[in-house]
Amino acid sequence: MPDEPAFDLNGCLERVRQRDQAAARELVEHLYPLVIRIVRARLPRRVLEEDLAQEIFMKMFSRMDQYHGAVPFPHWVSRIAVTTCIDHLRAQKRRPEFRWADLSENEANLLDAVMTNENAAAPDDSLAAHELVHKLLGQLKPEDRMVLQLLDLEQKSIAEVKELTGWNTSLVKVRAFRARRKLQKLFQELQRKERT
Amino acid sequence: MNHYDQAWQRLVTAARQVRDDRDTAAPHGFATRVAARAMGQRTEGMGALLERFSWRALAAAALLAVGGVATNYAMAPATGMDEAPMDENEVIVVFDIS
Repeated sequence: MPDEPAFDLNGCLERVRQRDQAAARELVEHLYPLVIRIVRARLPRRVLEEDLAQEIFMKMFSRMDQYHGAVPFPHWVSRIAVTTCIDHLRAQKRRPEFRWADLSENEANLLDAVMTNENAAAPDDSLAAHELVHKLLGQLKPEDRMVLQLLDLEQKSIAEVKELTGWNTSLVKVRAFRARRKLQKLFQELQRKERT
Repeated sequence: MNHYDQAWQRLVTAARQVRDDRDTAAPHGFATRVAARAMGQRTEGMGALLERFSWRALAAAALLAVGGVATNYAMAPATGMDEAPMDENEVIVVFDIS
């Protein structure tokens, strides 16, 4: 089967600017995998991923005149996606209280293992770890959650976080530092609650 | 790195092992719907702009019309007062002619 021809992004953008609906459809189809990965990794509670993706694409089209090619177009769209997710997380305001009793047996055992055994290797139960990490991140402010998710979970560099969020280097570092301190307090609180 | 940082790092290392195998292609009809809305919105935007200017133009025209009427209404009795009162005899003459 012959390879599909490479997507002509610049040509497509030019046609979108001339309000070509077919080009707009092609652009959405081309960028959907990028956008949906960002959305799924940061999906706020009670928000449908398709609704959020649609909102991101609508913003992309409405701000198309502001794109001047300083960064690659997918990076520009990624930033819109990340900031839209932060806005949604911020809008939630109330975060559910994190209680030891709400953890599944696997999650509780895992948390206990990582907190008590300093020499333990990475736990095997990756699904439980994934759930637990997202529950812990869910306790943080949207910006704090985002910076830890990008740096620790997705292993992005500070330069990449800068580009995705629009924050400067110092802000990224300060937010990461504060977020880790909050996480530490959360761990301590959990340990205290577990003992009582 | 303190004890809690290590615990966190072990957790995220394990969490990273989870791969998201969900399909990343756009759902059927999604791209068409979004493209139609986005392109429609731009037309709507132009229409809304025109509509807003039309309403403003209408308001300005109405204001001018009211202003015009008010000015002329105020001037009409004033012009009448400026005229010299008609002599009673002259009135009779006029009536005689008709």
